Amino acid sequence: MKALDLFGGSYADFLRERYPDILRATAEHLGISGISVAAGCIVAIPIGIVLARHPIPWLQSVIFSIANIFQTIPSLALLAILIPIFGIGTKPAVFALFLYSLLPILRNTLAGLQSVDKSVLESARGMGYSAAQQLWHIQLPLAFPYMMSGIRMTTVYVISWTTVATLIGAGGLGDLIFTGIGVNKNELIFTGAAAAILLALLVDFILGNLEKWVMRKTGTTKSDTTISY
Amino acid sequence: MRIKKGGIMRKRGITLCSLLLVGLSLVLTACGSGGKKIVIGTQNYTEPKIIAEMYKALIEDRTGLTVEIKPDLASSKVVIEGMRNNELHMATLYTGEVFNGYFEVEQTKDREKVLQQAQQGFSEHYQLKWFDPYGFENTYAFTVRKEVAQKYNLQNVSDLKPYADTMRIGVDNTWLERESDGYRAFQKTYGFQFKEAFPMQIGLVYEAVANEEVDVVLAYTTDAGLKQYDLQTLRDDKQFFPPFDASPVVREETLKEYPELEEIVSLLIGKIDADTMTELNYYVDVEHRSEKEVAVEFLRQLGLLE
Amino acid sequence: MADSLLKFFQYVTDQAAHLLFLSWDHIIMVLCGLALAVAVGVPLGVVSARFPKLAGVVLSAANVIQVFPSLALLAVLMIFFGLGFKAVVIALFLYSLLPITRNTYVALKQVDPSMIEAGTGAGMSPLQLLFKVQLPLSLPFLMAGIRLAAVIAIGVATLAPLIGGDGLGREIYSGLSARNNIKIYAGAVPAALLAILADIGLGKLQQRLKASRKPKVAD
Repeated sequence: MKALDLFGGSYADFLRERYPDILRATAEHLGISGISVAAGCIVAIPIGIVLARHPIPWLQSVIFSIANIFQTIPSLALLAILIPIFGIGTKPAVFALFLYSLLPILRNTLAGLQSVDKSVLESARGMGYSAAQQLWHIQLPLAFPYMMSGIRMTTVYVISWTTVATLIGAGGLGDLIFTGIGVNKNELIFTGAAAAILLALLVDFILGNLEKWVMRKTGTTKSDTTISY
Repeated sequence: MRIKKGGIMRKRGITLCSLLLVGLSLVLTACGSGGKKIVIGTQNYTEPKIIAEMYKALIEDRTGLTVEIKPDLASSKVVIEGMRNNELHMATLYTGEVFNGYFEVEQTKDREKVLQQAQQGFSEHYQLKWFDPYGFENTYAFTVRKEVAQKYNLQNVSDLKPYADTMRIGVDNTWLERESDGYRAFQKTYGFQFKEAFPMQIGLVYEAVANEEVDVVLAYTTDAGLKQYDLQTLRDDKQFFPPFDASPVVREETLKEYPELEEIVSLLIGKIDADTMTELNYYVDVEHRSEKEVAVEFLRQLGLLE
Repeated sequence: MADSLLKFFQYVTDQAAHLLFLSWDHIIMVLCGLALAVAVGVPLGVVSARFPKLAGVVLSAANVIQVFPSLALLAVLMIFFGLGFKAVVIALFLYSLLPITRNTYVALKQVDPSMIEAGTGAGMSPLQLLFKVQLPLSLPFLMAGIRLAAVIAIGVATLAPLIGGDGLGREIYSGLSARNNIKIYAGAVPAALLAILADIGLGKLQQRLKASRKPKVAD
């Protein structure tokens, strides 16, 4: 079977010969995913904080609806829609994935902040904590596991969808997959896919450890925060 | 506590029934692809798509067959495999493809010999009839912006050598991987490489070089982008690339089943030269007219269609 | 800007038949994939709820599929199933599996134990319990899973043309290759609308199911 003759010694040779390309594609891939998710955090987390402190139902509804639309629109369609604005290449890809990451991060930030027991905040206020102190010392640390859960989930999805960016000339591991389709070389398809999955798992692992480290430093205990996606 | 079962059951019943109905209609629609159909596969650039529309118009006009076009397949290789698997029946292919690892070939740059090898080899190994050419060649060409060509006095590909290690090149998705006429072989023949090579869909390279996102691109010679962005092609002075004459290719089995196709396919042989093809590509890619409209207009001009 | 908008509407009206055809193809592929996923995923969810050890395996497997880059999965399926419809539908089926299976599993586990007690008390067999109490009560959450799966499937289906499939992705991709922004939008906008409408429509259905499932407590 065609699929099977990529294993064996020949695959090791393939890796040895092509690893610069593979590494380059992986770096590009990580760059696009990383910047998108980072931008998503920078925008979504503050919005979440603001919404938690000043709950305005209709505003929250509107913001969530807009973010939800970006989640719902097919990735290729979103990428394509941005091309006349950003041109081809990495820019529209990063922006599209940034939009895509907004909802989960926002939703989890808000849920995390809102999960903090009102009575805890009351007693903090009683002890003389200012609003900012409450946020920084109580709410954020307690919300942190929720936020991290959202960030981790988003990162995994974004890494997976960044493969589609190859279609608009943005590079990344999708290049390997798409080229593999074109030249009928299964090793390329397999390597591109495996690298993307491994990258996602690795980043998820690192973020998980980062989460543990932060919580240890701030002395909070971990609660079960798996939020259904 | 009594559970009101009536309402729930009805809702559940409705959901199940509708799912079943959907399922049934799907199965029927999906399987009911009756009728004699010819499938033409094309690569992901405009040229073969226009030709496919030409054949669709001709075949549907002169026979009772319907034609389906499957466009945007990733490469000529995918098209050939598709024809081998009887998922496609017809396509436009280029003679140089013969060196891309299908069967044993003799290394030659002679046009006639390459065509012969294509016709013999694909018939013998893939049961495909490779007709005589339309009359144009669409080969690779290294291309730069006009100012860059003037600045560094670039006329031949070899002229790039002293500057290549500072230049980024944009290429189509498969060139980096091709064996005999790809990047690796190029480096051996011309003796240099570029700073960085970016694979992308061929349609995107022209914009990329015009926007200075890359410095050199490997263009296709009949593409409209060359004219649209006023780019300059460099001469392949070491004759690295093989000939790439375009021909219609049809499954021999399909020709046996529908012998009338042979004559129809032959109608376009020798009728399209490079300038004409570039012009047709221009109408679609730059003037944004539809492939179908351009194809039909061309056939009418030739008197092949009313 | 207004000029481009005009050209866009002109193009869409000219090509209305073609675009509708592509939309229809798109919807059919998604429905086929979803139907298969429901047919396989719901039973899988039911079985996982009964046998927790199996649940671990099934949910992990579905999770792995979910993270598999869609482009690669389509390519792999193309190798085995050839160009076109079959490979795409199988991909959509695989991607829909996790949301549907997991939601079935979670919903079944969340069923109020007192309901089950009431049912057993009324003399129901485990199978009757499943079909008359547990599944109906799980329906809203299951619908949420179908809704999520539908949105994902519509998204993945836009990649179908890369392996010879049909759908609105054809228009998007053709526009990309030809650098024709109008074509790009003519494909992308309907695809986006399709996803949004599916999300809203199935969301409403979900709400309706949730409302109807509240049991009337009689004295």
